[in-house]
Amino acid sequence: MATIVAEAPGQATGHAEHEQSFLRKYIFSSDHKIIAIQFLFLTLFFLAVGGLLAMMMRYQIAWPDQPIPGGGILPESMVASGYILPEFYNALVTMHGSIMVFLAIMPMLVGVYANYLIPLQLGTHDMAFPRLNMYSFWLMVPAGIITLASFWVIGGAAGAGWTLYAPLSARPDLTGVELGQVMWLVALIFIGLSSILGSVNYITTTINMRAPGMTWFRMPLTIWALFITAILALLAMPVLSAAGIMLLFDQTLGTSFFLPEGGGQPLLWQHLFWFFGHPEVYILILPAMGFVSEILATGSRKPVFGYKAMVWAIVAIAFLGFIVWGHHMFMSGMNPTLGLSFTVSTLLIAVPSAIKTFNWMGTMWRGNLKLHTPMLFAISFVALFAIGGLSGVFMAATPVDIYIHDTYFIVAHLHYVLFGGSLFALFGAIYYWFPKMFGRMMSEKWGKVHFWTTFVLYNLVFFPMHGLGMVGMMRRIYDSTGYAHLEGIQDTNQLITVAAFGLYLTGFIFAFNFFWSIFKGKKASRNPWDATTLEWQTPSPPKHGNWDEVPVVYHGPHEYSHPDVLDKDWLAQNERPDVVSPAAGSH
Amino acid sequence: MSEAGEHTASVASSDHEHEAPKYMLIWLYLFILTVAEVGVALLDVLPKWVIVVSLLAMAVWKAVLVAMYYMHLKFEPSRLRLVAVAPLPAVAIMIIVIMMEYVL
Amino acid sequence: MAHAATAARPPERGLDVYTQKVGMWVFLCSEVMFFAGLIGSYVVLRFGASSSWAEPNEVLNVTVTAINTFILICSSVTMVKAFAAAEAGDQKGIKTYLLATTALGALFLGVQVYEYYELIFHQSWAGSHGFTPQAGLYGATFFTMTGFHGFHVLLGVICLGWATIRAYQGHWGADNTHGLEVLGLYWHFVDLVWIILFTIVYLI
Repeated sequence: MATIVAEAPGQATGHAEHEQSFLRKYIFSSDHKIIAIQFLFLTLFFLAVGGLLAMMMRYQIAWPDQPIPGGGILPESMVASGYILPEFYNALVTMHGSIMVFLAIMPMLVGVYANYLIPLQLGTHDMAFPRLNMYSFWLMVPAGIITLASFWVIGGAAGAGWTLYAPLSARPDLTGVELGQVMWLVALIFIGLSSILGSVNYITTTINMRAPGMTWFRMPLTIWALFITAILALLAMPVLSAAGIMLLFDQTLGTSFFLPEGGGQPLLWQHLFWFFGHPEVYILILPAMGFVSEILATGSRKPVFGYKAMVWAIVAIAFLGFIVWGHHMFMSGMNPTLGLSFTVSTLLIAVPSAIKTFNWMGTMWRGNLKLHTPMLFAISFVALFAIGGLSGVFMAATPVDIYIHDTYFIVAHLHYVLFGGSLFALFGAIYYWFPKMFGRMMSEKWGKVHFWTTFVLYNLVFFPMHGLGMVGMMRRIYDSTGYAHLEGIQDTNQLITVAAFGLYLTGFIFAFNFFWSIFKGKKASRNPWDATTLEWQTPSPPKHGNWDEVPVVYHGPHEYSHPDVLDKDWLAQNERPDVVSPAAGSH
Repeated sequence: MSEAGEHTASVASSDHEHEAPKYMLIWLYLFILTVAEVGVALLDVLPKWVIVVSLLAMAVWKAVLVAMYYMHLKFEPSRLRLVAVAPLPAVAIMIIVIMMEYVL
Repeated sequence: MAHAATAARPPERGLDVYTQKVGMWVFLCSEVMFFAGLIGSYVVLRFGASSSWAEPNEVLNVTVTAINTFILICSSVTMVKAFAAAEAGDQKGIKTYLLATTALGALFLGVQVYEYYELIFHQSWAGSHGFTPQAGLYGATFFTMTGFHGFHVLLGVICLGWATIRAYQGHWGADNTHGLEVLGLYWHFVDLVWIILFTIVYLI
């Protein structure tokens, strides 16, 4: 363990002009900004991969009796004479979820934005442990490679669902998948380690490396969200690692932790997985909520309504998130008394989320709204997340869940919170912080095209799924046309599929805008959004080490339309009102 | 962090100066507790539940001694103690709730 | 846009503890959760299992492991003494105690390897020869828990070995104790987990 000398903020950085090689500067970099951008490229790639898997699923659902166009390029083990095989469909379902959660959304929310924003918004030079940060990123690369490779091994990729329920996931004789399942578990171990090491960095940096004047209740809400998220990851991911290792041993070593024939307990897997899994979904939404608070305040030219309540709501969501996991298990055969307690705790957790929703609306109320692309995504987050949260209330009640568990109602819910929620917030965040990351603006015109097409198509895809679930369309099924109770839904499925293809294409609009703007976008100023937080008080992009001398913070993070500041409608965190507007009274 | 670091170091060294003998005392306690644990377990004369409770209590006592004295938590700022115990409620919730599958 | 003058103010009060120590404690929190997952599963599986769970003393060598437990505890003592020596600038003490800690840690591992060997090749269980990870839930949980603990000990011994080499290079001293303290925290934690594991697995 080499001695890493923590640099005290307040001192001039020693990151002087030592010229680093290209490899050291851009590939094996310990600069949090470079690492964040590396995460961004990796996760955007896996977002596209995960979406592609969904397109194949959607084709199969809509036209189960027709060969998939272009299916010929895939091997016969996946697509026989152009027809997607049921086993391959299971792999598509499993890997779509797994890749989206672990290789796209979670690392995009945390790996990109915790890395990029924490040192900048807190006013420090870099993370607490920059080299550890670099390892965190590079652990994701073998994870990604192993995951992609798993499609091409005998038996194909993992096919027991992203939730890996035992005994199915531990029994190759039942799934036909052996090596692929093992590979995904190995990839998960890499991902878990990356996440845990990252969390150590984020938590330590937030606790110990805040700039002078940056007290806890002056931190931007984005930092609060990322900090609490890191605590969730720190405490939840190791449990998944432990469970995953036991499952791996069941698969490879002949143990029977979760296999009933050996005395094991399948329910134990479910409890362990969801003990992790529920905090995981809050990991997937809290940073998004942080971004939205930030973008809404900036775009409304108003402070966040009820900043302290927002902080306590984040804390409450995280804390309650540890005692609701059983609501994923109402139909598992677990003890019914536990079902009652989990219903109560799950209904309770709607309260802090509702507080946040009303506070976002309060933030926008009578604001001077600037409806640029990030703002459009942030506003729609509030609406779409509310829909997702409301469907969650239905599912929280055990009697209702008995009916809709494992139907498309759940699929609708999870996509409203994960896509309408997290991904929309991520798009907003990408547009918002792009100028700071790359020194250029993304095209506002194409951003709006991307937003509107995405918004319309997204709702066309996922809203009807609520109805499909209510009439009983089951999840993860390969062909819904053989069921008497599902007669008549095929038209809806086909509509959804066509809309989904369109939705995937909108991704190309975004991708083109993104990559083109990196090279040819309009040069960005230091603060194109007139925002108050510290990252906007540095050049775009900031230099290595961020600051020559760390700033001093004088007030809270969202001081828009400050009554004492007369000539502009914002006040940076490191500006004093009496210095900016000398006519102002002391504050 | 230099000012805070120096301050902690000067306090720590004075702590450690009169503290060094305590390490050996704690070691003695740990030795005695270990022997007691093995004794209680191997002699097996008490009712089973008494054995289990006393063994767990002794194990926790040893763990607390190691944490407080060898890991220096007793002399650290209370906020750090808060960080150290933070996972314990999560552990308790996990084990108790899963156990309830078999108890209730 | 006016830039406020950057006064030479101290950074915000964090935990009043240096950053690497905070980092190690935060990391240890994750390790608590990891071992809780493994040990908790053992508790649940054993608690909910039918009566077919053997008494530890019938299968495992409690006496040898009790001595091994004591060896690990001694290594914690030598570790704190190494740190105390560093703070006092006692170079000889640093070398001696770090070497002792490394040796005791390696000895612990050696005894465990010996124990595994005896169990796998010479211990009978449920009528069949050899107590292995495949020997029912008992074997599975035993080897997983003690195996991962042993893995953590191994990582610790490697780091201790490196630290000892650095000690012989005169690297540690009154002005350079943080690395030792942080390594010590990890090592004590490994000891702490073993204290719990030994009780739950070997004695109860």
